[in-house]
Amino acid sequence: MEAIFAVWQRDIIKFFRDRARLFGSFAMPLMFLLIFGVGMNGALSSMFSTSGMDQFTGFNYVSFIFPGIIAMTVFSTSIFSALSVVTDREEGYMKEILVSPVSRTYVAIGKIFGSATVAVIQGLLMLAFVPLIGVEVELMNIIKLIPAMLLVAFTLSSIGLLVASTLKTATGFQAVIQVLIFPMLFLSGAFFPLNGMPGWMNALVKVNPMTYAVDMFKHIMLDVGSMNEVLKQAMGLNLKLLGHSVSTLEEITFIACIGALFVMLATVFFNRSG
Amino acid sequence: MTENVIEVDGLRKSFGDFEAVKGVEFTIQKGEIFGFLGPNGAGKTTTINMLCTMMKPTAGTGRICCHDIQSEKSTVRECIGIIFQENTLDEKLTAEENLMLHCKFYRVPKSERNGRIEEVLRMVDLYEKRKDVVERYSGGMKRRLEIARGLLHYPKVLFLDEPTVGLDPQTRTHIWDYILELKNREGITIFLTTHYMDEAEYSDRIAIMDHGKIIALDTPDNLKKMIGGDVIEVITEDNGKAIEEISQRYGNDVKAKGDSLAFSVKNGSEFLTGFVKQMIVPIKNISVHRPTLNDVFLNLTGREIRDEITNGTKKPKFGHRRF
Ligand SMILES: Nc1ncnc2c1ncn2[C@@H]1O[C@H](COP(=O)(O)OP(=O)(O)OP(=O)(O)O)[C@@H](O)[C@H]1O
Ligand SMILES: [Mg+2]
Repeated sequence: MEAIFAVWQRDIIKFFRDRARLFGSFAMPLMFLLIFGVGMNGALSSMFSTSGMDQFTGFNYVSFIFPGIIAMTVFSTSIFSALSVVTDREEGYMKEILVSPVSRTYVAIGKIFGSATVAVIQGLLMLAFVPLIGVEVELMNIIKLIPAMLLVAFTLSSIGLLVASTLKTATGFQAVIQVLIFPMLFLSGAFFPLNGMPGWMNALVKVNPMTYAVDMFKHIMLDVGSMNEVLKQAMGLNLKLLGHSVSTLEEITFIACIGALFVMLATVFFNRSG
Repeated sequence: MTENVIEVDGLRKSFGDFEAVKGVEFTIQKGEIFGFLGPNGAGKTTTINMLCTMMKPTAGTGRICCHDIQSEKSTVRECIGIIFQENTLDEKLTAEENLMLHCKFYRVPKSERNGRIEEVLRMVDLYEKRKDVVERYSGGMKRRLEIARGLLHYPKVLFLDEPTVGLDPQTRTHIWDYILELKNREGITIFLTTHYMDEAEYSDRIAIMDHGKIIALDTPDNLKKMIGGDVIEVITEDNGKAIEEISQRYGNDVKAKGDSLAFSVKNGSEFLTGFVKQMIVPIKNISVHRPTLNDVFLNLTGREIRDEITNGTKKPKFGHRRF
């Protein structure tokens, strides 16, 4: 059991030692916040004000996108962390682990824990943007956010490990993850409200686990209760599956089930790849 | 009573159509140092990989400490330590962190960890550098750390795949002193591959492998006796002609050894006087010596033990530098 901790600890030490990665992790979210947040905010509010729809006065694109940015960070960090499994294999360290008596299942679990922890830390670091972009986040919501991030991170870390266990090279891994991650991000409601989409795209959105993660994050971070129906609709806070409004509890259950499935699959495949 | 620590029978490994290990068998006793010699690509590392459960054999069986290498992988892993031919350190971590992780993987008792880490670090002279990230170590320092790590959990069987490549002679002696001490103190059995002759001499028995097969297995002394008599080494004006002349006149099997020729005769010094007179091809240099493991190796494989090392040093010597 201590081995799980050892594998986890190694990832954490290396995360904090790698300053470039730490600072680099702010680059993408910052870019999205600046380009989408500032750019779209202006465009959207001018659109709404000229059309004279006063129900939209509460609409703030930056606060709409911010939970999505956090989700994106947790999401991509956890899935990309599995890259370390591939580089460990390439650089030889994986041999040191695999020739030891540590069970491969423990190694896999340690890796998933490690990636998930790093992803949650990265997600929390994104809160550093809060004072800069003028959104309000209550402490209570941050506390609620942590388990939610952990849940999402676990699921995505195992998807990452699954991919890493089946691919031999770092470049191959990166290519596959990239192809996986971008549609999942853009069809999740993180960047634009998922309204009025064609049926096929709507179907993709609904099978995308990221959709439920983003929705969960939004419900935690935004004051949904005080919004009027039109505003909720505009911000895409009315996720429906087959005509039924999805509750946060259902989202949690859904993500947890997917997570459990992928933890199992990743462990099995990691075991085999050794 | 002797106790077999390693038992190997009919072990084979194929990579696609290519058979790298073609059915080897041997047994190694407790406390023995077993030398595994062979030219590059002979199949030494492949054999080790199968024994230490990192590679599935195509056929055959192996047992380590009475545990099957295929059906009892985790028990086997608990018994063994291995220093791989290539680097397997985490270069982003410090020496100390690397060693501590190893202790955790091998369940070294908590109370012993710090003591053992200090002990092995002092052995390889890296104690002062224990807080440095491995990335900043020189190649030799990395190798030393790797060796230190392999010894950390006092394995029953230690696999050393060319452990001291790239180390200076002083460090090599130092490390061997420690390995031998540990062997005596803890009764470790050692499976060693090396391209250094002096290192091979530490072996109690030596197996020589070529093209995936073991072509000789005996004590170093018996292997040397196989040569019969003494070894003559000669450098001539024209080695090609000299080979012809020697094999025609004396019927000897002459092997090229770097710039010189080597062959064995019953009584070296007696042979020498007549030989020098009779040779038509002018002789530049001649010597006679008792057979060494290198001669045995050359005789059996047609190559020198130190093949890759002499090749390695040749390059800068004869290579033209471009500016
Ligand atoms: N994974 C692999 N796939 C295909 N061929 C391999 C593989 N590993 C080894 N071989 C081949 O098997 C043969 C034996 O390799 P091995 O590494 O066992 O040699 P070795 O005796 O350890 O040589 P060296 O002294 O250079 O370390 C070589 O011809 C090598 O090319
Ligand atoms: Mg080798």
